[in-house]
Amino acid sequence: MMTEYITIYLADDDADDRLFFTDAFDELKINTKVSTFNDGVDLMNHLNDPDAILPNVLFLDLNMPKKNGLECLLEIKKNEKFNDIAIAIYSTSSTEEHIEETFINGANIYIKKPNDFETLKKILSEVVTINWQYHTSNLNKDNFLMRM
Amino acid sequence: MKAKQLYNSTLLLKVIFTISVAVIFFIAAITYKHITTLKESSKWVEQSHEINMELERLMSYIKDAETGQRGYLLTKNEEYLKPYLTSKSLINNSYKRVSKLTSNSLIQKINLKHLLFLINKRHNYLSKTLYLVQTEPNYDHKVLNEYLHVGRLTMDSIRLKIEEMSSTQKKILQNRQLEYESSMNYTPLLIYLTLMVTLVLITIAFIKINRDVVKLSKTVNTLSVANEVSSLAEIVGGFGSWQHNFETNTYTFSDNEYRLLGCEPQSFEASIEEFIKFVHPDDLEYVMENVKNMALLATLPSFTYRVIRKNGEIRHFRTIGRAVKVSSGERTYIGTTSDVTEEIYAKNFIEERNRELESNNKELTAFNYIASHDLQEPLRKIETFLSRLISSDFSTLSKPGQQYVNSIQTSANRMRTLIDDLLQFSRTTKTEKSLEKVDFNLLLENAKVELNQIMETKNAVIESNNLPTLKVIPFQIQQLFINIIGNSLKYSKENTPPIIKINSSKIAANSDKSLPANNHNYYKITFEDNGIGFEQEYATKIFTLFNRLHNKNKYEGTGIGLAICKKIVENHNGFIFSKGVLNEGSMFSIYLPFE
Repeated sequence: MMTEYITIYLADDDADDRLFFTDAFDELKINTKVSTFNDGVDLMNHLNDPDAILPNVLFLDLNMPKKNGLECLLEIKKNEKFNDIAIAIYSTSSTEEHIEETFINGANIYIKKPNDFETLKKILSEVVTINWQYHTSNLNKDNFLMRM
Repeated sequence: MKAKQLYNSTLLLKVIFTISVAVIFFIAAITYKHITTLKESSKWVEQSHEINMELERLMSYIKDAETGQRGYLLTKNEEYLKPYLTSKSLINNSYKRVSKLTSNSLIQKINLKHLLFLINKRHNYLSKTLYLVQTEPNYDHKVLNEYLHVGRLTMDSIRLKIEEMSSTQKKILQNRQLEYESSMNYTPLLIYLTLMVTLVLITIAFIKINRDVVKLSKTVNTLSVANEVSSLAEIVGGFGSWQHNFETNTYTFSDNEYRLLGCEPQSFEASIEEFIKFVHPDDLEYVMENVKNMALLATLPSFTYRVIRKNGEIRHFRTIGRAVKVSSGERTYIGTTSDVTEEIYAKNFIEERNRELESNNKELTAFNYIASHDLQEPLRKIETFLSRLISSDFSTLSKPGQQYVNSIQTSANRMRTLIDDLLQFSRTTKTEKSLEKVDFNLLLENAKVELNQIMETKNAVIESNNLPTLKVIPFQIQQLFINIIGNSLKYSKENTPPIIKINSSKIAANSDKSLPANNHNYYKITFEDNGIGFEQEYATKIFTLFNRLHNKNKYEGTGIGLAICKKIVENHNGFIFSKGVLNEGSMFSIYLPFE
């Protein structure tokens, strides 16, 4: 039996958030393979490894030590190798500046971290099942921020 | 117009002066000529007189000769011959004199020649007669008579000739007299006329000089007043003035220039060398550079430097100058020096305050970030853990435990609302503003969509007339609508569906006494509700941050909503007021300026 996995990466320095994230996917009955990274440097090292399996969807926290989410986003968008990765910004803040900056630099969706677990599950299930090709071609500033 | 210009110019005076000098020369020349002619004419009279006298004398000599001879002929007495003998030389002398006197007249010359011939002829006959009588005792009387007869005829001719000469002389004199008179006739008239013209011109010149003197004294008066004013202004304004004449390389300092340096007015020689003695050593080079620039630049840009006053006090001076051409054509630099010490201290003080404000602002921005991010994060986790606890383990908790969990959740929710509102308040700043022309009806519709849920629950009705289109920060005005309407919905009476009436009108600032007097025109938008209202004494208090009129258990809220409204309106240079009647309703009025 062939099993199709959706490969998902999360870069977030907060252990609790990483736990909520993996727990949420555990409870969702979707075939996913979730890998988490503690910061931007960790993530980029892994991505730049030639043997690495590239994710389908990458969740990027913005506020991280060493290398923040925006720096990762810029690096990824510069490299053609990562063209197929859908990038979801996953942040506590939802200030206009952050939304604008990440939108301009090519992120695909902006998720404000929700404050209850059920909402988190709902959001994550929606995001991983998005038809990215369709979403990206219709992307604009208004539907960039994900609303639940 | 041209004549008037001529009158006003100094050229007129010069012209009049030239003409007057010319006239005086002219009159002098005429007078000289006149006197010369007079002298000549008297000479002529004298000369004519002399000629006549001489002619008479000549005549009498001839007569003497004849009489003597006649006496001799009658008496043969030699004594009678004496006059005859002397007469010859006398006649000769007399003739010579006449000839000399009449040398300037051609007619008289001819007459004289004729006379000489006649005199000689007479002499000949006298000689002949004498010779006849003396040499021939028996002379023929007939011959003698013949001689005497011719002699008498010649004598008559001589008399006639002399008379003719005399009358000719008279005629010449008369002619000359006539000539002289005719020349003298028009001279006085000419002099008179010329003098009259000169007099008129001099009168004009006098009037003009008089007027100029009046004008000049007025100007001098004005100038001295202006001088006083300027010196007073220098004292009041704390500045001094200076002049530098390039031609003579001399300086002039005003009294106050000295006072600025702490010296008595004009207590030292005005020169750049003396002045720079006061300049602070550190600024000396800079000042000298600017002094050099004076020779090159038409306008000296202002420069600031320090001086040390006579009493050792350090002051800051600012000097500015420019080149002017004074009426004498000399190139002169004029300028002012002002004491800007206080200004510089004030500026430094303001700069210091600005730096403080900037750092305060930075701290505030940092605080905003902490509020938005760092505070939200732990709260979000509390909420998330709580939601997991409730969904998985709520049923296993004891009754009081369940109660506590519920209380924690309520508090966490309230904290979230507070943080969100606080964030919104701090984001309502002018720095984010981007003015756009926007239809307020549209903003109201958006606000209604946002408030849809609570409006439906409460069966609220919003009545509005046509709202204006103004240049504003759209999302802020939309927030304003949401907050005011939300406020009315929240404080509605129980069991009474809220009705909110929105009206707008154009008004001028000076027609509404609640506005400060200015020339702006405003749009006044009022929101009137039928809610629980409030007591009028709280009308301004409700706009203060965190200020609440009700217990939070009865009406939830953070006390930030209306403070945000006030901030938004003030961002738009507008005003917001409220009016409340307890248990009847409240009204909010906002005033937004428009051009």
